[in-house]
Amino acid sequence: MSNCRHNPLKPYPATIVKIIDETPDVKTFQMVFDDPAVMESFRQKPGQVAQLSVFGVGEATISITSSPTRKGILEFSVKKVGMLTSALHCLEPGTKVGIRGPYGNHFPYEVMKGKDLLFIGGGIGLAPLRALIDFVLAEENRGDYGKIDIIYGARSMDDLCFKYDILDRWPQMPGTTVYTTIDRAEPGWEGHVGFVPAYLEEINPSPENKYAITCGPPIMIKFVLQALEKMGFSDDQVITTLELKMKCGIGKCGRCNIGSKYVCLDGPVFYLSQLKQLPPEF
Amino acid sequence: MSELMKIQENLRETARKLLANGEASLVIGYALGSEVSRVVPAFISREDEVDRLVWNPLCINNLAKYLLDYRHEPGKVAVVVKGCDSRAIIRLLQDNQITREKVIILGIPCPGLINPDLVAARLDPGAQITVAAVSKQDFSLQTGEGTFTFTRDEALLKKCRDCEQHTPVIADFMLGEEIPPNDPGDPFVAVKTLEELPVEERSAYWDKQFSRCLRCYACRNVCPACTCRECVFDQAEPCWVAKANNLPENTAFHLIRAFHVAGRCVDCGECERVCPVNIPLSLLNRKILKDMKDLFNVPTPGTSLEELPPLGAFTKSDPDEFM
Amino acid sequence: MKAYTITRDNLGAWLDALARDYTLIAPVREEESVSLFKPVSGFAEINLGYTNSTVSPKGWLFPQTEEMFFFSTGGDQITLADAQTPGPAVLFGLRPCDIKGILALDPVFNGAYQDCYYQKRRQDTILVGLSCTRVERDCFCTSMGGGPTDGGGADLLLTEIDGGYGIEVLTPRGEKLVNRYQQYFDADRENRVIPAREELGKKLAGHFTRNVDTTGLKEFLDQHFELPYWGELARRCLGCGICTYICPTCHCFDIFDQSPDGESGVRSRCWDSCMFSHFTRMAGGHNPRPTQKERVRNRFLHKLKYHRDRYNLDGCVGCGRCVTRCPVNIDIRQIIADLQEVARHE
Repeated sequence: MSNCRHNPLKPYPATIVKIIDETPDVKTFQMVFDDPAVMESFRQKPGQVAQLSVFGVGEATISITSSPTRKGILEFSVKKVGMLTSALHCLEPGTKVGIRGPYGNHFPYEVMKGKDLLFIGGGIGLAPLRALIDFVLAEENRGDYGKIDIIYGARSMDDLCFKYDILDRWPQMPGTTVYTTIDRAEPGWEGHVGFVPAYLEEINPSPENKYAITCGPPIMIKFVLQALEKMGFSDDQVITTLELKMKCGIGKCGRCNIGSKYVCLDGPVFYLSQLKQLPPEF
Repeated sequence: MSELMKIQENLRETARKLLANGEASLVIGYALGSEVSRVVPAFISREDEVDRLVWNPLCINNLAKYLLDYRHEPGKVAVVVKGCDSRAIIRLLQDNQITREKVIILGIPCPGLINPDLVAARLDPGAQITVAAVSKQDFSLQTGEGTFTFTRDEALLKKCRDCEQHTPVIADFMLGEEIPPNDPGDPFVAVKTLEELPVEERSAYWDKQFSRCLRCYACRNVCPACTCRECVFDQAEPCWVAKANNLPENTAFHLIRAFHVAGRCVDCGECERVCPVNIPLSLLNRKILKDMKDLFNVPTPGTSLEELPPLGAFTKSDPDEFM
Repeated sequence: MKAYTITRDNLGAWLDALARDYTLIAPVREEESVSLFKPVSGFAEINLGYTNSTVSPKGWLFPQTEEMFFFSTGGDQITLADAQTPGPAVLFGLRPCDIKGILALDPVFNGAYQDCYYQKRRQDTILVGLSCTRVERDCFCTSMGGGPTDGGGADLLLTEIDGGYGIEVLTPRGEKLVNRYQQYFDADRENRVIPAREELGKKLAGHFTRNVDTTGLKEFLDQHFELPYWGELARRCLGCGICTYICPTCHCFDIFDQSPDGESGVRSRCWDSCMFSHFTRMAGGHNPRPTQKERVRNRFLHKLKYHRDRYNLDGCVGCGRCVTRCPVNIDIRQIIADLQEVARHE
């Protein structure tokens, strides 16, 4: 029997250094481990998740939204939906929290090399995609990937996450196009109006030499997948990331299984072809 | 033919008719279980399945609460109830959990049930009961291997010893001859014995019981008075009872539950039956039942549709010594 | 492997000594027909007249509630302190099915991420098995690859023999324990312990009233996730946690914090149950297993398929506890038989 050198269920203390209000119910938390050695050894890959602790309240699984190319800091974008995320939203910069991870698999960025990438996000669903977007757009990686298209939508202007990225930073990157849409017209918005799947069909990207990576509300994903299929994307060209209730994050607590697979170990990133092999329990 | 077998025939015929003429879309009753000593709740929606329905002294489960699973579905549901179970129907009706028009009550006057452990100990588990009969003295069960007789004194199920209503208090079809209530004696003997103990001993008694609670919530899930859309014990915020399994939390769980069903518990005994670690939950509920009777002079809840739960109704004659 | 014998009197004395030197966990009769594994102070508290404890003994290695660590926040610091672990222990009187249950839990708490809490307790606990002397009506271990005298996985295996017990040493750790208390044991000079156990095993094998055949079942389930059978079965399920809590192989847990003052407190874990509706319900309300049908199916697929997919081990050891205690007669033996029947008609 092997010895336990490191306790994976015990988080490392970390500090919230900055909080960015993204939308009325989404905040991005910048966090730094208190121990610089932990910060150095925490090597997440785009698409992985972590367990965030608010001590006294509990833990929640949150995807890491910052790219590993951004050193010395971790970002988590959190929508206020439950007890833990509500508690997080009440915190101030300087508060001590806990982080453990990184958990799960990651976007297949090695396989994606040499390809064009089409990102399709809705609402807070852009958070896990953002880690990969910034990874491939990072100077050291940009040459490995082709054209980057980002289609992103939210219910309203207010509900657009990462406004600086989508409206300002990413559109200025070479070989990058950002298509932003909101569900209903409103004063002050001059961009596209309509749902993400419809916008996708309007843009009608070619599946050639391309991977499509999507994340968003289940209803959006459903129609995005239909649209992609219509455009000729194969199930091996479409990648998504799942969110299920998790507690341990390490394949013990038995909660996030879809059939024999644990989302915390075998996911959260799945090719559509893999998803179609799984029972419909997600 | 024994009265039990007549009832079984009657039950099957009634179920067949209800399904055939479309009056009921589902009949909830009992069928033979995985072994001779067990029956299972059965959900019959096709005429050709009605012969699965059985009536024998092993039909212990209270089926009333299953009605909740079908309350939003079209069609009427017929359900088999014994005397004790029928009080649960009244519970659900009074609590507006089910509507009278959507339920067909198949009442069975029940002469008392048998302790399944004794049946398991004597009969081959693979055998099937073909004929059952109950007399004032004994139970007799016939299988392919012969007829097995159990004296009522040794084999009567514990909860049946204090039976108040053999005959259902409410029914659309009474499937057998009414059995007049017998004098069960004082159902509160055990409560009184415990009440007479010094407080330290009473406390020690319940500590011993609650400390082995697994918090599996079977008592709550089976209870016809537990119908909250979201149970307080499932609420994360506010957290009334922590998930930790220890004596203080377990005690809080049982006492809160007992008070939540106070004046509404119909004394069907299901909570005690299902408890995997044999916590005497009926004793706890009967303490409250006894207090309710002493304070408000009311019958056991569920005895009549008109008699509202005393804690759910106000009258000027309510005791007010706390004011 | 070596074998010894011990007289009844010496067994009592040995257990008293074990209780002095270790935390001794053994079966205790709590109530009529309720026996539980608990820490005991000596032989007098132990009841060996049980076949299966009401709740499986997994709770010693994976407690129903286990404190993981304490936290305290003060100023701009946060301190995490490990909870105490119990130290050297002897888990005495394990029936063979429960030993297999522990073997089924081992890979769950092992693997790429080591579960330190389980590992520590597992390393610190000596497992002493006890061959069955009778077969209860719900037992079916022989159908799940076990046997009533098949103690593989324990450190020592005791078997009742004429005049006392035979003891087989199954591991070096077991050997060490016997050596430490050698004054209580006699060498098995006539080599009667192993034959006696084998004899008992053969005798008991004929006492099982219900055998089930899982041949080909996993392969069928691999291909058939949606079956109307699950919906029918789930109609009567109460959605309680009895089966999962008394099961020797169920391992689902929840993690929660308790903090009376909001500044310091404890993080613990506790058993949870896939039968509960909120088990998979997410904060936003979405529930991937929204009805009891999905939940019942998940539990039985876990036992009959998922555990084998992940660890190549059966997720059920045939202890029969869930069969005995389910209030609505959801009987895994019957389910296996029913599914085989469904498979024949597919």
